[in-house]
Amino acid sequence: MTPHDRHSRLQDRIEAALKRKAQRSALSVAVKRGRDSRRAALDAIPGGEAFREEVRAIKLRCLEKQQELIERFAARAKERGTHVFMAKDGAAAIGYILTLAAERKAKTVAKSKSLTSEEIEVNESLEAAGLQVVETDLGELIIQKTGEKPFHLVFPAVHKTAAEVAEIFKRVTGENVPHDIDAIMKAVRRYLRPIFLNADIGMTGANIGIAETGTIAIETNEGNARLVSSIPDVHVCIIGQEKIVETIDDAFQMMFAHPVSAVGQHLTTYVTMMSGRSPMGEGDSARESHIVILDNGRSQMRASELYSDALNCIRCGACMNICPTYGVVGGHTFGHIYPGPIGIPWTAEIHGLEKAADFAPLCVSCGLCMEICPAKIDIPLMIAGVKDRASRRQPHPLINRVLMAAESMAKLGSATAPLANRSLQNALFRRGLEKFVGIDRRRQLPPFSPQTLTAQFHRRGPAKIAGPKRKVAFFTDVYANYNAPELGMAAIERLEALGCEVIIPPQRACGYPYIAYGDLKRAHKTAQKNVAHLAPYVEKGYEIVTTEPTAAYCLKVSYPRLLGQSRRSLAVVEHTHEYFPFAAQLENDITASEQSLLAGRTYGFHIPCHQRALGAGRHTVDFLQKRGAKVQVVETGTCCGMAGTFGLKKGFLGYELAHAVGEPLFEEFKASGVEAIVTESSVCSIHLRQGTGMPVHHPLELLQPAE
Amino acid sequence: MDQDLVTQFKNKYETLAGIVHLVDTEDQAAEAVLDIVRLEQCRQVALGSLPASLSARIDAACSEAGIAVVKPPYQRQQLPQAMHESPVGVTWAALAVAETGALLELTTDDALRLVSALPRVHVGICRARDLLATHREAAAPIRRFFSQNKRNATATFISGPSRTGDIEMRLTLGVHGPEVAHAVVLGRCPDEADTGDKGDRHDAP
Ligand code: SF4
Ligand code: SF4
Repeated sequence: MTPHDRHSRLQDRIEAALKRKAQRSALSVAVKRGRDSRRAALDAIPGGEAFREEVRAIKLRCLEKQQELIERFAARAKERGTHVFMAKDGAAAIGYILTLAAERKAKTVAKSKSLTSEEIEVNESLEAAGLQVVETDLGELIIQKTGEKPFHLVFPAVHKTAAEVAEIFKRVTGENVPHDIDAIMKAVRRYLRPIFLNADIGMTGANIGIAETGTIAIETNEGNARLVSSIPDVHVCIIGQEKIVETIDDAFQMMFAHPVSAVGQHLTTYVTMMSGRSPMGEGDSARESHIVILDNGRSQMRASELYSDALNCIRCGACMNICPTYGVVGGHTFGHIYPGPIGIPWTAEIHGLEKAADFAPLCVSCGLCMEICPAKIDIPLMIAGVKDRASRRQPHPLINRVLMAAESMAKLGSATAPLANRSLQNALFRRGLEKFVGIDRRRQLPPFSPQTLTAQFHRRGPAKIAGPKRKVAFFTDVYANYNAPELGMAAIERLEALGCEVIIPPQRACGYPYIAYGDLKRAHKTAQKNVAHLAPYVEKGYEIVTTEPTAAYCLKVSYPRLLGQSRRSLAVVEHTHEYFPFAAQLENDITASEQSLLAGRTYGFHIPCHQRALGAGRHTVDFLQKRGAKVQVVETGTCCGMAGTFGLKKGFLGYELAHAVGEPLFEEFKASGVEAIVTESSVCSIHLRQGTGMPVHHPLELLQPAE
Repeated sequence: MDQDLVTQFKNKYETLAGIVHLVDTEDQAAEAVLDIVRLEQCRQVALGSLPASLSARIDAACSEAGIAVVKPPYQRQQLPQAMHESPVGVTWAALAVAETGALLELTTDDALRLVSALPRVHVGICRARDLLATHREAAAPIRRFFSQNKRNATATFISGPSRTGDIEMRLTLGVHGPEVAHAVVLGRCPDEADTGDKGDRHDAP
């Protein structure tokens, strides 16, 4: 497939997904409820998000000694009479299960939900061998009966209405199933009961394996895994080897992390911890259990510096609940067998790069999945890696290459500003820009400034501050430098008024687009250069301050990862600040007149995604409130859709999707009754202005120059 | 015994759509079970492995009311039909956790798991003094249980009825297993002489 084909096929799939309005709204309700419930649950417990640190530590420790744990787990399970089979791949696992089924003359297999079994497509093989396989998790059953793949990890059939489900079971059972949920439940209960009672084999996955005791833990809210793992004489459990932890205590942490991240539940309704196979009543001897430990590429993943992080996944689905584009298009578009953000690296490693590359461009690199992940997995960086690898087979599309070179473009635009700005207003030029470059003609673009901030600043010369309180190296990034130098100057002067000595050190743009579109070599190089530029200033006692949230994020979060946590990159992390948190440290009491500067104004604050990792703009809101403004945070809990430069791109993989993602947020802003929107991100502001028709300001624009 | 834990457990279990009964004596527990069975208008109840005296009391109360009781030891040939045909299953929880509203069922026979898994109504009974504050505290007793039962052992946390949100995200109970879940907490005040809680009124059924 040429890159063009892939690109346009994905565009078509997005277009189709956007048209399915009912599905979209069901999905958006589901994911929003998931993330809101999670938030509420974590807000109500002591420690809040702190458990993520523990989960990560446990997963890393267990991954470190994985081979040892697998062996201990297997040994303990065997001591209990369980048959353990190490399957190096799907074919081996399936071969084992087919042989077993044939030997036991099995006809029916009752299954509880297991993504690992879907990974190797067990059902298809068993059915081909003449077995009847029935999924007993309701959501999985629905999609099994319609021959689909899960739309969402936790809610596989969330895209189906009750009426559609009723029709499905009418067909399956031959009964008349009314279109209401309670009636459907009764029909399902009647349909499944004999299957539970009579299945020859019960097949489950396992959420956790415990090496200490050779135990598998299975979590379900419906309780179907309890029946599947108890009634049939033969129990088969397929477990991915990465799920094995060391101790019961480790497992307990996972038992909490999983449901709380997924839906805000402290514990799944039923958690079954099976150690060996129990008899069924007196005089029973026929019971057996088999644990298939699946590798299928996991060992290889573990050896990879970049992708081993994916093995820390506990399959909670939280990343799906927060991913802005997944939340609009769903798992059929955003996924292969493994859906959603973490589905990209998993697919690349398990099902092949080509499959992953088909949907990887849907990631707009907002970074939110990493912020919600209970195992703190750096999913965005792995996705960048997938895009990067894919680009070596098929080069990046032109538009992505252009956007990755944003700084050169901005430099050119600024150098030729009057002409460039006139052109940007010119419909013909915009049509050409859309057609030949791929920037959507509807997108309003900020004009370039003929003089950069750096040039202006150097012309002005550094202000003489006697006995400076702090020394600041100002990081401009693209927008303040090339588009809005007056904003940058206002920021600098305000810092000077607070007693800082400010300089603009040599620097490049932060280079986040290289990560977003997947050019890790350049991302790495940019990180190296900027750290080389900035670290010497840090060593001389300078603090790095920037007004662009993405730049702060890049310096603080992305660079150290790209540079292997090098000492210098960590020094930069330590001394890089967002503008307002930094200013807040210096600002004491403000004058009475400044206290009432914004009295009577009402603003809605937008948190750019990258700011969420840095403190969510709390100091900015404080700053405005201190000046008399009424400020409320208006949010849906995910991205506005712009995602850096993604929303500049033409068509469905760009402008259209950006708007679809943004719609709920636009509505919230419009309904909030505020007079204007405030945000620090230069790109979010473009999108919000266009999406809401409301005025959008950078907070510094709201102020008179400091006295 | 910590009265706060009982309250915390009760609140949590009830937010999970379960029903909690606080009783002081085994007789009252048996009465509570009988009330539930009557409410369900059923003819048969299945018992798990309960302490002998409690089991005998429930058995007596139900039999007297004309309700059939099936109870251990279960024979392989009766299974899983015995539980499938019992609308109410009554089991013993070795421990319960206030933080999560979970009952902990420890079994070495899958027949007993079915008592809480197949009937439409599940009644779990635990002693107030076996309430743990946090989930983590259950690790040690589970470890002990697994090491005492070298061959086979199953520990199950049960917090409320079988639930699903798979159709239109609407919470629906009882799709496979129990649609109704009761927890009977026994011996609300075993230390009452010490704590002076004696006169406390409570909403036993
Ligand atoms: S970075 Fe953002 S867009 Fe990309 S997968 Fe994660 S949540 Fe989705
Ligand atoms: S990547 Fe993280 S958030 Fe996503 S499913 Fe896995 S554990 Fe959950």
